[in-house]
Amino acid sequence: MTGNEPPSDRHSDRSANSTTAKKLTRRGFLKGAGITAASTALIEGVQGFQQEALAATPEHVKEYGPEAAPVTLHINGREHTVRIEPRTTLAEALRVELGMTGTKISCDRGVCSSCTVWLDKMPVNSCMTLAVDAVDHQITTIEGLSVDNEVHPLQEAFVRHDAMQCGFCTPGMVMSSAALLERNPHPSEADVRMAVSGNLCRCGTYPKIFAAVLDVSSHQATKA
Amino acid sequence: MAIHPTEVIPDALMSSSAGASDAASKTVKMPIGIPDFTLREEERIVPDSEPPVLPLNKDLKYIGKPTERWDGRAKATGRARYTADVQLPGMLYAKFVNASVPHAKILSVDTSAAESHPGVKGVHVIEKILGNAVLRNPSLEQSRYPLVRYVGQPVAAVAATSPQAAEDAAAKIKVKYEPLPFVVDMDLAREADAPLVFPGAADQAGTAGGGGSAGGLTQTGNVHGPAVHKVGDAEQAFKESDVVVDAHYTTQVQTHSALETHGVVADWKPEMLTVYASTQGTASVREECAAFFQLPMSKVRVITEYMGGGFGAKFGAGNPGVVAAALSRKTGAPVRLMLDRQEEHLSVGNRPSSDQRLRIGAKKDGTITAIQLISYGTAGCGTGAGCAGPATNLYKWATLHVEENDVFTNAGPAAAFRAPGHPQGAFALEQSIDELAERLNMDLLDLRDRIDENPVRRVQRQIIRESAIWKSRHATPNTDAGPIKRGIGLSQSVWYRHLTMESAAEVRVHKDGSLEVLSAVQDIGSGIKTVLAQILAEQFGVPPAKVEVKVGDTNYPVGPNSGGSVTTASLTPAVRDAAWQASQKFLASIAPSLGTSASDLSLNEGMVRSKSNKFQPMTFRSAAARMNTDQVTAQAKRIPDYDPKKYDTYGGVDVAEVAVDTETGRIHVKHVYAVHDCGRPMNPTQVISQINGGVIQGVSYTLFEHRLLDPNYGIMVNANLDKYKIAGSFEIPKIEVVLTESYIGQSSTDASGIGEAAGIISAGAAIANAFYNATGVRIRQLPMTPAVVLAALNKPKPQMEAL
Amino acid sequence: MNSFSLADCTSLESALSELKSGAVVKAGGVDLLDRMKNGTDTPTRLVNIRRISELRGIHETSDGLTIGALTTLAEIADDPTIRSQYTILSDACGHAATPHIRNMATIGGNVLQELQCWYFRSAEFQCIRKGKEQCFAFSGLNQYHAIMDYGGCPSVAPSSGAVALLALNGTIELTSAARGKRMVAIKDFYIHPDANPHRFNVKADDEILTAIHIPQPAPGTRSAYQKYGEKESHDWAIADAGILLEMDGDQCKRAVVTMGAASPVVRRSQEAEAVLTGKRITEQTARAAGKAAMTGAMPLSMNAYKVQLFPVAIYRTVLLAAGQMERDPSAAG
Repeated sequence: MTGNEPPSDRHSDRSANSTTAKKLTRRGFLKGAGITAASTALIEGVQGFQQEALAATPEHVKEYGPEAAPVTLHINGREHTVRIEPRTTLAEALRVELGMTGTKISCDRGVCSSCTVWLDKMPVNSCMTLAVDAVDHQITTIEGLSVDNEVHPLQEAFVRHDAMQCGFCTPGMVMSSAALLERNPHPSEADVRMAVSGNLCRCGTYPKIFAAVLDVSSHQATKA
Repeated sequence: MAIHPTEVIPDALMSSSAGASDAASKTVKMPIGIPDFTLREEERIVPDSEPPVLPLNKDLKYIGKPTERWDGRAKATGRARYTADVQLPGMLYAKFVNASVPHAKILSVDTSAAESHPGVKGVHVIEKILGNAVLRNPSLEQSRYPLVRYVGQPVAAVAATSPQAAEDAAAKIKVKYEPLPFVVDMDLAREADAPLVFPGAADQAGTAGGGGSAGGLTQTGNVHGPAVHKVGDAEQAFKESDVVVDAHYTTQVQTHSALETHGVVADWKPEMLTVYASTQGTASVREECAAFFQLPMSKVRVITEYMGGGFGAKFGAGNPGVVAAALSRKTGAPVRLMLDRQEEHLSVGNRPSSDQRLRIGAKKDGTITAIQLISYGTAGCGTGAGCAGPATNLYKWATLHVEENDVFTNAGPAAAFRAPGHPQGAFALEQSIDELAERLNMDLLDLRDRIDENPVRRVQRQIIRESAIWKSRHATPNTDAGPIKRGIGLSQSVWYRHLTMESAAEVRVHKDGSLEVLSAVQDIGSGIKTVLAQILAEQFGVPPAKVEVKVGDTNYPVGPNSGGSVTTASLTPAVRDAAWQASQKFLASIAPSLGTSASDLSLNEGMVRSKSNKFQPMTFRSAAARMNTDQVTAQAKRIPDYDPKKYDTYGGVDVAEVAVDTETGRIHVKHVYAVHDCGRPMNPTQVISQINGGVIQGVSYTLFEHRLLDPNYGIMVNANLDKYKIAGSFEIPKIEVVLTESYIGQSSTDASGIGEAAGIISAGAAIANAFYNATGVRIRQLPMTPAVVLAALNKPKPQMEAL
Repeated sequence: MNSFSLADCTSLESALSELKSGAVVKAGGVDLLDRMKNGTDTPTRLVNIRRISELRGIHETSDGLTIGALTTLAEIADDPTIRSQYTILSDACGHAATPHIRNMATIGGNVLQELQCWYFRSAEFQCIRKGKEQCFAFSGLNQYHAIMDYGGCPSVAPSSGAVALLALNGTIELTSAARGKRMVAIKDFYIHPDANPHRFNVKADDEILTAIHIPQPAPGTRSAYQKYGEKESHDWAIADAGILLEMDGDQCKRAVVTMGAASPVVRRSQEAEAVLTGKRITEQTARAAGKAAMTGAMPLSMNAYKVQLFPVAIYRTVLLAAGQMERDPSAAG
């Protein structure tokens, strides 16, 4: 119970990993990379690796990184070029690089869906999507849902029904339920619950979200 | 009625001065009670400067009417800018390095590798940690760096040109620890030979949201307390009782889990420190920054345009605030420091656990002879685990014996969390009251009618008695055959009329007829912006959407910190007073050009009229064009309640219907019928939204949420949002809200708050009582997961001892 | 997340050749990015196969189905053929994770997901599955852990897809540049922790999971999958059941009962199957099968309730498969 050694300590200088990792064979390194290896060994590995990789690059391969490089994304009908590393998620590219902060990051693991955007009209978690994976797809964000400054009927319904409190989950809720209406203009309440079952709202606005979506579906089919 | 002893209400929350006024005053008649039930009039003596008594909601045009959220469109379109969204030119991104061990002395922090990492502009090693309880005698600990008392305690931070560079560099900071014995389990921490979290007595101050503990309590080992509150001789009273209900309850630690994590963007310039903060109190952030850096208050500006949820945990600058400011000072650039989800779970607050032994003694007629509550709870390395509010304040008792104890553990410090102490306390009390009714063979509502003196809850119980849901309740438990059993139960709640006089606003009328209201108050999602717009709308007869609301900036008149349900009750009278005074100044400014005097003019429902018929009624807007100045302004600050001797409590009664799957142990909450009191509802739309939210948060707390610390390493194993489980769309019951519009004659708006009383307090007991009604089995442990439910159902049923 | 380079491949051939020099394959990336964000995995080279269109799609063959590894869970859940003839698989894919994740996650990635154990998934704990000696779950918090056949690692099998594929007798197609294709039955695909604690499945580092083959179920086959969590919106299974019944009139000729959240490797319960085989499916037989499935259960300090829960999951899913019960409201939405 008391005085146990920590199971590991990444920020401690007591780590024994650095010495052991250096002794790993190449194959051992590759296996070890999936565990926890010390940074020095990894850096050596990367360098050796890149030379090999460059030599072997075939035709159907596009290389990214590790350094930042320009990448072009199609967002809300426009092209945007951003300089990003391959590890940059779509959510980070939108928010940090493009200042499109309507898309939120909250759990950063794909379980709260505050970061919902559409890839080719399909709702996905932009926090779990690498930006480079969004290349050549049509990305729609909350900023793009209103076309020609006309607020989407679902957004109007969210306001009418007060389907928000703090509002931090709202863009994600709107994107998830608007995608539902695109697929199914007349969903049941069960369909709505399913569509937002990956969206978390800590203020507890769900009943009004359900009402807002059903209101739109009962009054009009959404824009194609 | 007294607040129970360890609930620390900071001075700022309490009406400070007595008496309505020393200046000239007038006597007015105010509506009191609940329309259709108990409405009557009472006289109040109020200052002459107060506006006319506000009529009942039914006689108003904008106040009290369902009103669209003022900033709803900004939120629905993603245009609303939260702290997390703030981007300033040259802004750096900061990342914390957090302790990986639960208890240790830091021997050294090697930042050299981080400092030379590309993109890094500054590194800061923390020398003063905020949030933890503080040793009364600091000399008991000699250490260059703050002692680590929990896994996740921030140690240092890096600021770099990109989030990725900051993350990479933070990983290069090497911290050398001297590990110390630790304890994370509360029961083990209470043992005599447990490792000590603090080497001596320590206290944690409360915040504007509550929490913390009374200072000066005894401390034995890790047990801080008890805070004792005794009235009469409870032991003797138990002996003289006809029935004694004696039960043991436990509740878990819950984390706030706001979707926007804690964080700031701090911009330190020689002339001014500007802090964009995700906070419930712009004033509290300013105060802490000024104190921490010894800056004049006038040199600190705090801005909160939008904030993504706080629930009690977001007061003051906290560690993220002061560290970002320090890094900004060091680097000369704005610094953004937003916590990640794991840090949010670990280091910025939680609702303490509880272990409660509750005894209630009663006479055959239900009269309560004695209530005794001995409670322990852990607020980690903080305090504030008291939970005797409901036991002390909900019912009339002849004798009382309360002992509340905080138990220090090596876990992150608690913070105020929506109705601090009350969900825990009500979970126990309201089950025991049901049990008492059963032992006395009394109806649940009849017993409460006998022992509950609150006039509003009496009406609420009447509404429940007549409701379809209550009428459909099985009279005897465990009626349904088959594995799915239906049950209905209820619980009451109590909260208090906390106010802060530090609530002010300025109202501006422009010559073009446009209107502004300004206050430093922040809108934490409960919708105060909309309410302020409604007040001006009512005064000037323009739609609320046409009113410009400017809040969340300490450049404006001081606003309340939003904790303890103070905001609406505290601020709206000041705003109405300012609006009223501005309207009077406005009439004075148009009178000359209309060839009359201000006293001849009136402004009602958007029309300016001459009492002597000097001109045809004209609209407010066209009258404004006749102002003899470009702008009239009025500022007002909250004055004390009209009758501050009268101490009001609020509450509600919630009925829950559950379907218990007795084979899977899953409790489905199907329907909640929530009858609630928030004084005069200013905007019923938003009040209902808050009650929905309180109920849902309560369901989530009752059934799912549980912070889990590994006992052997002190590490939280579910510091995420998939294994820290929060109610989602499929767990949402049908919620019906009934508002008991109640007037208490206390201010120019007579509004109260709803945040705390909104369902979070009573959900646990209502569900547990419904579970009992469904199954005939009591669950006295939270959360009621399948494991807990199946264990309870598996136990042989004890024979009920009848009276 | 650590820095890495990424080879974005548009053909299988190119991906295989990239893999030759060693690297980590990324498809939908959901599980991999989760582990990388947690800091448990720090690969510096990713081979991205997400754009390889030849690995995507559902194809009916003469003797069953071939599902490309990159087919998403949502596509499988919505496929009319799978819904009608391989219901257990559409059930499993349609109730995994969240709707958004089902739009991103691939069946290959689902099958290759790494273990569910909060110690394994935390960078702070270096456990037996990460090359160290210790398991933290036995003496720690284990309420969601395995209840049977766990050996030295009581993690639970994470893939609901695998629970269905095991019942359907599916085969995994693995492809490497050096050795071409090979087929591995799903029952042989996963490695028990006691056989090798450091490898979770038989896929070699130079192999890519390219497809899954499923034989056509025999006529009269009915199947279903249900997952039970502590809540219905997005939760991990605390109990789950895959049921496949080959019916001859009201007699069950052959039954398959599979479970995921009971053990570190998806398992069939021959005890439960024996109870059902040759019987009429009634609530009584279904309950008896559920009970039989717990033969050999050895719950840990905090998860005895799962031994009570699995039989319920099994009996209700047997009845669902047999058409005698609606989808359970206590199961994942």
